[in-house]
Amino acid sequence: MLNRQEAQRIVEKAVKLSTFPEFAISIDWSEATSVRFANNAVTTSGFTVSRSATIACAREGREGRYETDDLTDEGLRAAVRRAEEIAESAHPDPEHMAPLGPQQYADRENWSERTAAARPPRMIREIQAIVDSAGRAKLVAAGFFRAQASCSAIASKAGLFGYCRSTDSGLSTTLRNPQGSSSGWSSRQAVDIAELSGAALGEIAADKCLRWNKPVRLEPGKYTVVLEPAAVAGLLGPLAVPLNARLAEEGRSFLSRKGGGTLLGEKLFSGLVTLRSDPFDRRFPTLLWDTDGLPASPVTWVEKGVVKNLHCTRYWAAKTGKPATAFPRTIVMEGGGARSADLIRSVDRGLLVTRFFYIRVVNPQTVQVTGVTRDGLFLIEKGEVTGPVVNFRFNESPVRMLANVRQLGQAERADGESGTTAVHMIVPSLVVDQFTMSSVSDAV
Amino acid sequence: MRQAKKLKASYCDIRIGRYRNQNVMVRISPVPGSEKPNEVPVIVDRDSFGFGVRVIVDGAWGFAASSVVTSEEIARITAEAVTVARASATLNSTPVVLAPAKAYKERWTSRFEQNPFDVPIAGKLTLLLDAAREVKAGRKIFGSAGWLRFDSTDKYFASSEGASIQQLIVQTNAVLLANAVDIANRLSRIRNYTPPPLSAGYEYVAAMNWKENALRIREEVVEHLQAPPVKPGRKDLVLLPSNLSLTIHESIGHSTELDRALGFEANRAGTSFLTVDKRGRERVGSGIVSLYGDRITPRGLATAAFDDDGVKTTKFPIVSKGIFVGYQTTREQAHLIGEKESRGCSYADSWSSVPFQRMPNVSLEPGQSETTLVDLIAGVDDGILIDGRGSYSIDQQRYNFQFGGDAFYEIRGGKQRGMLSRVAYQSRTPDFWLSCDGIAGPAYWQLYGLLNDGKGEPPQSNAMSHGCSPARFRQVNVVLTD
Repeated sequence: MLNRQEAQRIVEKAVKLSTFPEFAISIDWSEATSVRFANNAVTTSGFTVSRSATIACAREGREGRYETDDLTDEGLRAAVRRAEEIAESAHPDPEHMAPLGPQQYADRENWSERTAAARPPRMIREIQAIVDSAGRAKLVAAGFFRAQASCSAIASKAGLFGYCRSTDSGLSTTLRNPQGSSSGWSSRQAVDIAELSGAALGEIAADKCLRWNKPVRLEPGKYTVVLEPAAVAGLLGPLAVPLNARLAEEGRSFLSRKGGGTLLGEKLFSGLVTLRSDPFDRRFPTLLWDTDGLPASPVTWVEKGVVKNLHCTRYWAAKTGKPATAFPRTIVMEGGGARSADLIRSVDRGLLVTRFFYIRVVNPQTVQVTGVTRDGLFLIEKGEVTGPVVNFRFNESPVRMLANVRQLGQAERADGESGTTAVHMIVPSLVVDQFTMSSVSDAV
Repeated sequence: MRQAKKLKASYCDIRIGRYRNQNVMVRISPVPGSEKPNEVPVIVDRDSFGFGVRVIVDGAWGFAASSVVTSEEIARITAEAVTVARASATLNSTPVVLAPAKAYKERWTSRFEQNPFDVPIAGKLTLLLDAAREVKAGRKIFGSAGWLRFDSTDKYFASSEGASIQQLIVQTNAVLLANAVDIANRLSRIRNYTPPPLSAGYEYVAAMNWKENALRIREEVVEHLQAPPVKPGRKDLVLLPSNLSLTIHESIGHSTELDRALGFEANRAGTSFLTVDKRGRERVGSGIVSLYGDRITPRGLATAAFDDDGVKTTKFPIVSKGIFVGYQTTREQAHLIGEKESRGCSYADSWSSVPFQRMPNVSLEPGQSETTLVDLIAGVDDGILIDGRGSYSIDQQRYNFQFGGDAFYEIRGGKQRGMLSRVAYQSRTPDFWLSCDGIAGPAYWQLYGLLNDGKGEPPQSNAMSHGCSPARFRQVNVVLTD
């Protein structure tokens, strides 16, 4: 792994190669290990070392960008030359912003030596525990275990330099019965791989799978739902882009006011809803700067249901006199004290949702999304889980969902749909009224 | 190969690849307080070079990869791959079995006349700017954008069985976009012109009729903005290839992947309703529905001479007259369903990715030669004609789906009428294809495709084409979206 001094040496070399007045470089380096398993056996696993540099240079507003894996002297020289050639071909960009000069980045690092050193022999012990859970319950296990150590460096000719490194890991598993008529899932992510327990995840997935036996078909319609954190994370992901100042001001977002202006400062959601970004939370991989190189900092987007901030690029901020605000690469939704059982007890009739799948935006303006429930959908009657339900397709907007939140559970780090979402999240379970299930989905 | 042999690998292959990608974009956006909009160019060039080594040790796969392409690093990474395989073998009771493959020694290049990476960027920007300005000049147009994307894959494959194959594949893709906004009513609509992405060179860009299509979409986006919402319910649909291609992909393409059917994708992409016992007997479509997989169709995005197992590519039936007959397979899968050879569907999206079973081109056979699009529309009393791609989502066994589109035209009394808005159609894969009662003839057959199909963990991206003629589907559930 590249250390701070080595990173500094590479970027200084690249800066010297540049002949343009504006020059910026970022370096990403990662060592990733993964083990994939299915049908109670390992299928594909691997170890990949990736390193890349992104070079951006500009003169009189003409910009060129080039990305390369070749960090040798020769590779950097060719990359700088190519970026400059591209810039010479380009028209001036009226929205161009010069690279930043020196910035003060936080001295933080979410790093685990155990995660960085993780390799398949160590990881397969946890997978063995999942396979054992499956075997005891006469089920079939599939899943994915990943561990990654990475570092990033950022620099400019104007004197900017930053370096950070972090680790992250994730383990997810799906247990199905041999007939393929039942399925259960669980997942966890952590900076420190020691927090991931195959035995614990295997037990949860087995329990879901065994309980999802002979599901009943219910009619599509509006339901009160208890959404587990993975389901909440899946629906909140599409909300990150529309929280943008420019989109709202241009009339292209749910935050646009009819006739002009924005809904910033308006109470659009339940008073229980507070959404923040916290790049320094110990549960996330380290993120010390945003895509523009501005120092990452905590931002409150929604406080007690009121929209407090919108993300805003440096260009739009300069144009409209607002502060530049970074894109939310983390979302933290504040939770409450209620345990899962408390949430279920509060529902007279509704559905308990483990997770959603294949979530896609149907209407970017209202953020209506569609997708299906998967790996554990259960009926709640009079505060008790009474049995499994055949899956549904839903058509719903996280905007409406957050307006209809009735109760919060405890917050935890959660996957979105695939476990690879670029937005890291800490979210609670939610009780939400009036959630739209639009058709029955027969898939298991 | 020497290192793998020394470390007791029973099989080894290496892929050394250079992956180039160029995105050239222009966006025209209004600026507050100014009559003159911003014309924003964005150009990103990428070049990725590295190698990946696969080994089989003690019956299990191991993989490792690096971007430092030196003899020493290749030996080190091969040893890493062996370590990975040994660890995997501790949990596995069934060894990997590869179907036989001939050891080819060949070079192959996809069909193109002008390598887009040799074309100066200035000309690409001018072309996009002219087209985007043409769109922006339309009445009530808020913004416009144009995009060109070029991909080039130059990959070398060698195996311990003696294969030595080099392939160069070049692909070209473009989009032109119009955006209209009604601030008073908080409405924003988009209309795209998306020529089919193809394995082709820059010569394809010149044949895209940019001006004509710019003038068309700048009118159509305004019609879309003002179009009445659909009245939901059961309706007949006539789907153009620009829309039907994605429906083929999601409903038939993915459900006939053998790894899904056997549970290898259970944790992420899901399984399939087409389990192995259904092969050769399950009806999934009407008698006029036949689909095939291939990696040989000229211009197809998945077209190559060899797959990433080194297997020569081919064409094979998937659905024959409505009956599901065949899966997409790789070398390690063929024996699992009693087949003797792979269908050539192994693919990795980078030197750093593990090859696994990915979708080939999957296409729908055209209908009778005399059937026209007008005939299909004439047979509809209350329906919708759908053009282009919209939102799409399908469940984890490929039954229940919901698809949108880019433009929706009412069909009333056998005639195409004005545009509708807020349309999506929901169905279940076999119900949908069983309702197909008309497919236009070969003259209407077009090869559309997808550039970014995701599958696997860690996720990989794949491009493939789907050819079809316009087709008609009866009494499909149409829903009103936001």
